[in-house]
Amino acid sequence: MMPIAARGWSAAFALAVLALPWFGHEDPVVALFAGEALPLVFLAGDRLWLLPLLVLPAFAQFAVRHDRPRLLVATAAVALAWLCLEGFAINHRGWTWQWLGVIFGGKPTQPALGWGALLYALAATQLAAIGLARQGWCRGDAFVLGAILLILGAILIFVFSPVMTVLISAVRDNNGNFAPAEFWAKFTDRSIWGLECLTGAGSCGAAWNTLALAVVVGLLSTLLGLAFALVALRTGLPLKGPIRLLSLLPIITPPFVIGLALIIMFGRTGFVTTFLYQTFDIPRSRWLYGWPGVTLAQLLAFTPIAFLVLVGVLQSVAPSLEEAAGTLRAGRWRTFRTVTWPLIRPGVANAFLIGFIESMADFGNPLMLGGSFNVLSTDIFFAVVGAAQDQGRAAVLGMILLGFTMAAFTAQRLWVGRARYTTVTGKGDSGVPPPLPLGLRAACYATVLPWLLLTVVVYAIVLGGGFVETIGRDHTPTWKHFLIAFGIDHGVSGWFLSGSAWNSFITTMWLSALSMPLTAALGLITAWLLARQEFRGRGAFEFLTMMSFAIPGTVIGVSYILAFNTPPVELTGTGMILVLAFMFRNMPVGIRAGIASLSQIDKSLDEASLTLGARSWRTFRLVILPILRPAIIAAMVYSFVRAVTSVSAVIFLTTAEYQLATVYIVGRAEMSEYGVALAYSAVLIAVMVGALVLIRLLVGEQRIGRRSANTAETAPVGLAAS
Amino acid sequence: MRSARTMLVAAAALLASAAMPARADVVVYCSADEKMCRGLITLFTKETGIKADMTRQSSGETYARIRAEKDNPRADVWWGGTGDPHLQAAEEGLLAEYKSPMLPKMRDWAVRQAELAKFQTVGVYMGALGYGYNSEELGRKKLAAPACWADLLKPEYKGEVQMADPNSSGTAYTMLATLVQLWGEEQAFDYLKKLHRNINDYTKSGAAPAQAAGKGETLVGVAFQHDVVMVALTGKRPLVTVSPCEGTGYEVGSMSLIKGGRNAADARKFYDWALGASAQKIMPEFGSFQVPSNSDVAVPKEAPDLSAIKLINYDFAKYGSSAERRRLLARWTNEVKGAAR
Amino acid sequence: MTQPPASVPAVTFQTVTKRFGQVAAVDAVSFDIAPATLVTLLGPSGCGKTTTLRLIAGLEHATAGRILIDGQDVTHLSAADRDVSMVFQSYALFPHMTVMENTCYGLRASGLNKADAEARAADKLRLVGLTGYERRLPSELSGGQQQRVAVARAIVLEPKVLLFDEPLSNLDAKLRRRVRDEIRALQQDLRLTVAYVTHDQEEALAVSDRIIVMSHARIAQDGTPRELYEAPASRFVADFIGNANLVPVALRHADATTGEATIGPLTLRLPHRGVAPGAALLAIRPHALRFGAEGIPARIAHAAYLGSHMEYGVMLEGHDVELFAVAPDIAQPLAAGQAVRVSFDPAGLAVVSG
Repeated sequence: MMPIAARGWSAAFALAVLALPWFGHEDPVVALFAGEALPLVFLAGDRLWLLPLLVLPAFAQFAVRHDRPRLLVATAAVALAWLCLEGFAINHRGWTWQWLGVIFGGKPTQPALGWGALLYALAATQLAAIGLARQGWCRGDAFVLGAILLILGAILIFVFSPVMTVLISAVRDNNGNFAPAEFWAKFTDRSIWGLECLTGAGSCGAAWNTLALAVVVGLLSTLLGLAFALVALRTGLPLKGPIRLLSLLPIITPPFVIGLALIIMFGRTGFVTTFLYQTFDIPRSRWLYGWPGVTLAQLLAFTPIAFLVLVGVLQSVAPSLEEAAGTLRAGRWRTFRTVTWPLIRPGVANAFLIGFIESMADFGNPLMLGGSFNVLSTDIFFAVVGAAQDQGRAAVLGMILLGFTMAAFTAQRLWVGRARYTTVTGKGDSGVPPPLPLGLRAACYATVLPWLLLTVVVYAIVLGGGFVETIGRDHTPTWKHFLIAFGIDHGVSGWFLSGSAWNSFITTMWLSALSMPLTAALGLITAWLLARQEFRGRGAFEFLTMMSFAIPGTVIGVSYILAFNTPPVELTGTGMILVLAFMFRNMPVGIRAGIASLSQIDKSLDEASLTLGARSWRTFRLVILPILRPAIIAAMVYSFVRAVTSVSAVIFLTTAEYQLATVYIVGRAEMSEYGVALAYSAVLIAVMVGALVLIRLLVGEQRIGRRSANTAETAPVGLAAS
Repeated sequence: MRSARTMLVAAAALLASAAMPARADVVVYCSADEKMCRGLITLFTKETGIKADMTRQSSGETYARIRAEKDNPRADVWWGGTGDPHLQAAEEGLLAEYKSPMLPKMRDWAVRQAELAKFQTVGVYMGALGYGYNSEELGRKKLAAPACWADLLKPEYKGEVQMADPNSSGTAYTMLATLVQLWGEEQAFDYLKKLHRNINDYTKSGAAPAQAAGKGETLVGVAFQHDVVMVALTGKRPLVTVSPCEGTGYEVGSMSLIKGGRNAADARKFYDWALGASAQKIMPEFGSFQVPSNSDVAVPKEAPDLSAIKLINYDFAKYGSSAERRRLLARWTNEVKGAAR
Repeated sequence: MTQPPASVPAVTFQTVTKRFGQVAAVDAVSFDIAPATLVTLLGPSGCGKTTTLRLIAGLEHATAGRILIDGQDVTHLSAADRDVSMVFQSYALFPHMTVMENTCYGLRASGLNKADAEARAADKLRLVGLTGYERRLPSELSGGQQQRVAVARAIVLEPKVLLFDEPLSNLDAKLRRRVRDEIRALQQDLRLTVAYVTHDQEEALAVSDRIIVMSHARIAQDGTPRELYEAPASRFVADFIGNANLVPVALRHADATTGEATIGPLTLRLPHRGVAPGAALLAIRPHALRFGAEGIPARIAHAAYLGSHMEYGVMLEGHDVELFAVAPDIAQPLAAGQAVRVSFDPAGLAVVSG
């Protein structure tokens, strides 16, 4: 007997071709009501190559009724294959490949696929899953198989294929011809791999700059994070609360805003520089522009992430271990060196790699402060938009950056993922951690306190800078900048939003809000599949999801335009493409949070539910989701926040109707309208804090208290690694 | 499975509403300053009743976008930005040919631009290259005011000159091509190598050096003169515009119709309107002080005095071509940018 | 075993194999479970007993072979579609649901309305003695109570087969014996078919109608507790069940059923049970050692007083194995170092092949 769902999907399969409009329209709502279903298309004697698609639902119906799983799978496979084949072979202008026209003649055309085709593909996928499950695949679990196929399909369409489109252009010249020689020349270019800075004969290549910056930032942010964690947990200083609060700020700060604040302080005309010049006659210089500035900005942004990782690790070291060392006559310093340090070492390595990866992916700070210091992420951008207009070079640079991040991810997974001997158990530990050795404590204070001061000043500028005349010079409070951005005026036709930022603000808010639950759901279901289900090819599946972790934002942006500008999938210029970009770029956040939480939940809970006759979907909904509540909160919050603050991925995708806040702020900062840029940033930060609180209230606190403490620790780590 | 479907339907509905576009009669990619672009579009709708949509991006970004969208263009008109990417797009066949009835009213440099591109583009404004210096900073350093390209080589200016990277900025490429035309390639590169010692930064964006000079982050910033004027006037900065004594090149800000655009008829209306007097005389209101291409419209009084500028006979055909551009950029990158200071 | 033999077994394994990668966790295993019996899968850890149980549940799917439940082929059915339920080692109670919600869960999943489900759940909760605890969360119950909820949750579905995966391992020794007896009583009262996994041979002997001993992914022996104890099929089974002392002997067949095993000066007549003549092993149960004036000379290596009985380590002359013996006589215990003579009670002896 086929499950009930089979009948449902089979009906949907038929409905998709018979009743729903097959082709898309600029306006999806219009498309839904005004578009033609396939039979009408045929009545017009048109597009007969779609005929096979119309027949297939009958086979599916038969297979479902007579319990023929093999036939069902075959039907679904043929449907999907033919859909892809005809979709790619014939576009809005005719044959996609010339030789097809030579063989078949004629000049058939078709617009992009619409709702009917979407449901058709979806139903075919689910029917295939049901048929395969009936034959014993995936322990006979149709939901799991269906989810796997669906997510796999989505990743192939929205991650793999766009990226491939870009990477292929690496081996093409600017006119689209195959040119491997040019690839090699671009790949080995001196501007990428040059080492002249070592000999003093010039500047180094972007690849080396990126690597060096990432190593320095990784190391320093880990050290600073460790110092902060030690101060927060192992000293009497009442700084734990403030540090934790500050550590959350960078997550909700749009990138490049920190760079902006640094310019206002330390630029050649910055107020700190001016003060030093006027008081101590220290000559003003432009030291900020270049690697020092980028390093400083990235440290400010990523140290809190290292801190969150290391606090978690440090907390998980059972104090009784250190006490044991104490009773074995080890001094404080010896205890730290021989017990504490080896126990936290894997966590430290993890923090380093996260800083390393974040630094490589960062786009906003190098854009703001890089000067002549070239790194890969910005070079990719300028290879596309710069005067040279060299997409091939962008692809090559993208490849190199992708290689670096992939390597770092692999290292993180293989090396850190295994070597974990943290001592978290359900049991409480009654031990009291020993105080830090004196020298170490002094060193920690000496780093933490000045850095804390710097962070506070930076955020004071970010939050307050928009509400004074000219930050650093004239501190008369004013609403001027705020009103330019968010003014509301009364005109002939009543109140209207006159501020120049409203458009981008509203768009950003609701596209982010829309992508938030979708991203979280996608991420958590993927996490559940990865953590809980055994299936063939899981390794490859995991690799594909990891790919979207590692792809630089700029590469995503360009690749989406290239891949989704023409039929069969046409999304350019819609809000949907932005939502999709957010979803697939931030999905890893959900995956990380989900996997971390799931690994703490006994697997036999799922199994118990299954043996009690609840299918996977019911199990997922009634057992897994309620327990995953903290992970859901984390995933939702972070996907929202990341959508609001992302720049690199969306800078190519915004249109007149869909302008985004960050792109607007970058534009204002470029034109030196710092007041407006800062006022807008402050508003964004306030809104995100509000959203954070609101989501917590909506999703609610968790009923079983014990697990929440751990998951709350792990979520930011997941965020950081994407 | 029932609630699974409910969820899917809900998600689809949400996505559908996300994709709701606001239909416009004509879609414009604008590569000038945001305020300028916004003002232009608003005036167009006001005067013609045709609804227009505008996306502002730098000329490089816009060109990259038009290329990426070439199989299914999303926009109809591209207004503003340096002429080079327009010419390049014409060379690649991304633009549509159109001979506007307004052409006879255009100043000769605008028509030359159109002829060069076989009427696939046209000049809408013109501005000369130059640089700006911050008078406050100059006074603090007690230096004499610079007046020529050659002045920038003085050792007193070490670390005080900023220009954009010609690889990413059309402004800086115009400077490179100007110097090559002024002095010949060898001498021009000799100059640039010497200038390299005084450069503090090669910025990515062409507008950045003028901004930086305005704020005093650098003493001198190389830019188009009207950009310098704009920073000085709208930002109220102590910035002085210099038109180099040896002579200088210029840009022809251009406008093109995009081939395959969906609203060809309305796009032509915009095109003709944008070349008309009412469109061209509003530019100073938005801080844009270029020379308008319509000969009926007076040059704004704030604009750099054209008669005082020694303009070279800029060869857009040669220096706008992809091959020459690539060759010069490669040479600059290898011989100048990588060199020690 | 008051059951008349049923026509259709509740569970049938037909040469079922389960591989994880290259390793076979269950290797061509075949057996039947008769309805209303309690069958134990017994063996050391890693022998494949838990995998076998999970194969019945549908939590693992067989690589080869067929699995039938009540005559129906379920080899490719998912766990949710099989009429079985399982009590987990960790109980796997849903932490966010009350006792009542947990117990109702399966009924609600199968489409029963809330009121009926709660009525039936309340009935089963009463059966396990948990009336009054319905509104509690699992974290508010003791280990033994959690165990009962898990049992109630499983039996409320009245499954064709009820599976237990080491259900007692999280309980303390005293509770273990009581719960063990309760499970057995419940099984007999409700005439449930139960497959029960444990590594504890004493537990297995106490509750089972039949025991399937597994070793290295295969069945070592399948029989009633008495058969396994008295007639172990192999050295492994003899050793695993009831702590046999294994002593090498020379075996000679006297007739079709009887053999003569020679150990030192002693020759014992006992059933040879098909073991080939020549070198063999004699399995001697600890209680089968008799100390007296006759038999093999031996020495007491150590002695321990356990209240109800004595335990001795005994060194036979000419053998370097130490035999483990228990003796009920606590009034006059032997002392360590004392020389004795040892003979054997034939009821506690069995030859197995070496």
